[in-house]
Order: sequence, then structure tokens, then C-alpha cells
Amino acid sequence: MKQHIANHIYHVEILPPKQDSEKLDADLQTFAEKYQRVLDSDYCICLTDNAMGHLSFQGTEMIQELGLPVKPEQVMIHLNTFHTKANLDEILHACIEKGIRDLLVVTGDGSDRLPKLHPADIGAAGVESVTSVELLRYIGQAHPGAFNLGVAFNPYEPEEHEFTKLDRKIAAGAMFIITQPVIARNAVVDKLLATCPLPVALEAWMSKKLHLLSQAVGYEIPENTVFDPIETLRLLHRTYPQCGMYLSLLGFKTQYHLLTDTWVS
Amino acid sequence: MRIVVCIKQVPATHDASIDPETKRIVREGVKAILNPFDTYAVEEGVLLRERLGGEVVVLSMGPPKAEAVLREAVSQGADRAVLLSHRAFGGSDTWATSYALACAIRTLGGADLVICGKQAVDGDTAQVGPGIAAHLGWPQATHVMQIRSANPGSIVAVRMHEDGYDVCELSLPVVITVVKDINQPRIPTLRSSLASRKINIPVWTPDMIAADTARIGLDGSPTRVVKTEPPPPRQNASCRIEGPPAVCAAALVRELRIRNLV
Repeated sequence: MKQHIANHIYHVEILPPKQDSEKLDADLQTFAEKYQRVLDSDYCICLTDNAMGHLSFQGTEMIQELGLPVKPEQVMIHLNTFHTKANLDEILHACIEKGIRDLLVVTGDGSDRLPKLHPADIGAAGVESVTSVELLRYIGQAHPGAFNLGVAFNPYEPEEHEFTKLDRKIAAGAMFIITQPVIARNAVVDKLLATCPLPVALEAWMSKKLHLLSQAVGYEIPENTVFDPIETLRLLHRTYPQCGMYLSLLGFKTQYHLLTDTWVS
Repeated sequence: MRIVVCIKQVPATHDASIDPETKRIVREGVKAILNPFDTYAVEEGVLLRERLGGEVVVLSMGPPKAEAVLREAVSQGADRAVLLSHRAFGGSDTWATSYALACAIRTLGGADLVICGKQAVDGDTAQVGPGIAAHLGWPQATHVMQIRSANPGSIVAVRMHEDGYDVCELSLPVVITVVKDINQPRIPTLRSSLASRKINIPVWTPDMIAADTARIGLDGSPTRVVKTEPPPPRQNASCRIEGPPAVCAAALVRELRIRNLV
């Protein structure tokens, strides 16, 4: 992550196609095109793991089945706790085989259809359910030195609770942090940067539909709020020059070409 | 062991509505999915095949587009699929449907085990599984939450009740219906999803399964939907957690985690 920040490498989120896609061929093609475009731009591809609990194909199987090239420094896999142990190990082995080192380890969103890791599956004692902390610890113990492990930080959660949780994540092996979407200077992010030694990437919300962030930030954002994602991205660069940027919901047709001159020193 | 899993394509429940004239579910223009209970039936069939060998055949009756759920079941691990589809099947009630499915099972050469989901979420009748058993003259066990043991001649099934469960040994062939507690259905991989799109799914018509056309379709259905009403408002279950704040918080988190909500 430090190298990514130093070299102005954006983290670009790509969602694998959903399992119930009615146009799977087209979705696979779009995914492959986005993947290749990010790779060609020398940015880092970030592949989500059943985002929002929606059943989707795994990032590693997308790479394998579509025969996509991997540059180890340019692919990050999200990994959450909604897997069977066998599936978890399969994903980790696929990452190792492909040379993928960056994992963003999150608790994740579940659904009826998704299995959930049990503490006993990964040797987690004294807990009732597996969170990102137990998953981090397991990955670190099962594959020492194989991965750069990242974690999420939510500046909209109660502050004390979130920092305590972060301490536990760091103790379990976290090596970098990616925040929830930030759209302006944020006091909790300021505190994070002042107190935490790990490299931090801010999630930059690239959709114009700012109101979709209401749930994440914990207050209602009116649906008609005017929001300029590119201008906000520039603002974040000016405000937090020491941070990386994780771009979610980036418009590949309308915004991607504008990225070339947004990250200036 | 030959295992036949009967599945159904249903409207996604959040999209479903009732036609006020016909009292039937409006299916046109509504997203169609594999009946959620049937994913558990498919998984149990695949698990048994993995333990005992044999094959899993998925069977469905419906319009041509129902082929999609058969492919989904194949991507979940079933070996092959058959679709019963013909205008003559249209309008079948649960009795006529189970008759047609029973005819198809005979045409397949029989089965050792037939597995159905507990019920379909569109009709909610839970009658097709038992109907198949009746038409075939086989024993049945409904609401199965566990197959405790299985061998080529019999299975030991645990059946769920509101107040407990019972354990029964059943000689094969047998029909069972399963509840969600029985397993955790696997998630299809991209590879299996792509492979499932290439398989050939034969479409069987009434004459191909030697079905008596007087016993299928609207005319072969002894029941009629005369009235449809929304059910009474559900009494939301609630539980009160009492005690010191830390204990309450821990108990609340535990309950939420059990439901995979946090």
C-alpha cells in the first residue's frame, strides 16, 4: 500500500457478476474489459466478495476461468467471513498460486444463501462468531508472510468502538487500512491518520448518487443532492495527500479517463 | 443410487402478485428463481451421491423458460436434467402435477430416492412431494431435517415437527421433502455455471411419459382456486432481553450473529 500511495496508484473496485445474472456472457465480457483497463493503467484492481450479501462469482475464479493476467502488485482480493472453510482455503490457495498478495479482510454482509465460517473452522477460541479479526489471525497463521492484509475502518461508527476494533485488527495482523467513503475532511479520519502508523487509503465515492451513502454515514442525504465525484476526489487528494484512494462505483465510460490528472502532487 | 430431485421455478417472492380475475399468481414479467426450498433438496441429493455414488437427476414441470432453474441445479452438482413442458400440462393443480412428475420418474426407469423441497414459495401447498409418493405407491417422509444414515436399501430420516422431531427408517424407494435445516447448499462456481449452460436438457411431453391426458392440465385437476386472500398479519415474534447492559448487549449481538445479520 505504501508503494501504491507513493506511486499514485489508484485502487479501483470492480464487482464480479452476480450469480443470478440474466446476461452472464455480457457481464463476463464487461468484467474482463474493466479488469484489463485497470491493469493497463497500472492501477490496482480490487475485487469484491459478495458485496452487500449479493451472491456473486468469486474474484479468484473470475481470474482463473477468464484467463485474466495477474500482476501481483495490481490485484487486491476482498475476503469476508461468509464462506465455508473449504472455500476459504481454496480462495487463499488460488491467490498464492496467482501471486496475489493484497487481501482486504472484512467481516462482510451475509444472506440466507451464504454460509458463515464457524469459530471452530479456523481455530478461533472464545468467540461466538467469526469476524475480520479472527479471519485475519487465521490467514496470518495458515500462510505466514504470504499476504499483505488490509482491514476496513468506518469513521461513521461510534469513534471509541471503531478505534478499539481497529486495535484488535492491527493486533491480529492488519497491515493497511481502507476507510468507508469519505467526501470531505473528516475529524475521525484526521484522528486515524494522526494515531495509526499503518498506511491508509480513503474510499472515494465515485457515484453521483450521493444519497446512496445515507446508510453508510448514518444520516439522511437528500436524493437531489448535487455531487461532483471527480471534484471531490481532487479535494480528498489536496486534503489528505498522505493517503491512497480506493475508488468505488467508478464510471468506466464517463469518469475513468479523467483520472489521469486528478492525483497531482 | 438414482436420486431424482423435483424442483420448481417460482416468481421471486418480492415481485409476486395475484391476478384478481383468475386468482392465480401473475408470472409474466416477473423475475423467476429456483424455489428456495429446492436448493436444499438438490444439495441433499448431491451430498448423498457423493457418499453413495450414482446419479442425481433434476426434474421440473413448467414452461420452456423453466429450463433456467434446471441448469442452476446442474451447476449446483446435479448430473442431468429433464423438463416436462407442453401446453397439455398447463393449469395442472398439485395432484395433476404430482401425477405427471410420477409418470416422468417411471419413464426415467424409476428411482431409489425422490427429494422435493418442503413446499414451493408461490403456492405454499406442500402437496406435490406427498402427491408423487401417492401416485408411485411409495412411502414418504415430509419435513426431513437430516438424513442420519443412508445405504442402498434404506435411509434413516429425522423429521421436524413444531414441538420436536421423530426418527424413521424408510425402505427405498421413498419420497422425502426437506426443510432448510438439512444442509447448507453450495454456491455454484463460475466453471459449473458455464458448464451447465452447455448440457442438453430433454423436454418431455405427455406422450413421452405415458401420461393420461385426462389426468393432467386444468381438466385433469380436481381442485380449483375459488378465492385468494392475503393471510392475516403475522404476529411478529419478539423476545425481551433483560439484565445488565453488558449482558443485554452481548445477548443481542449473539442473536443478530445467529441470524447472520452482523
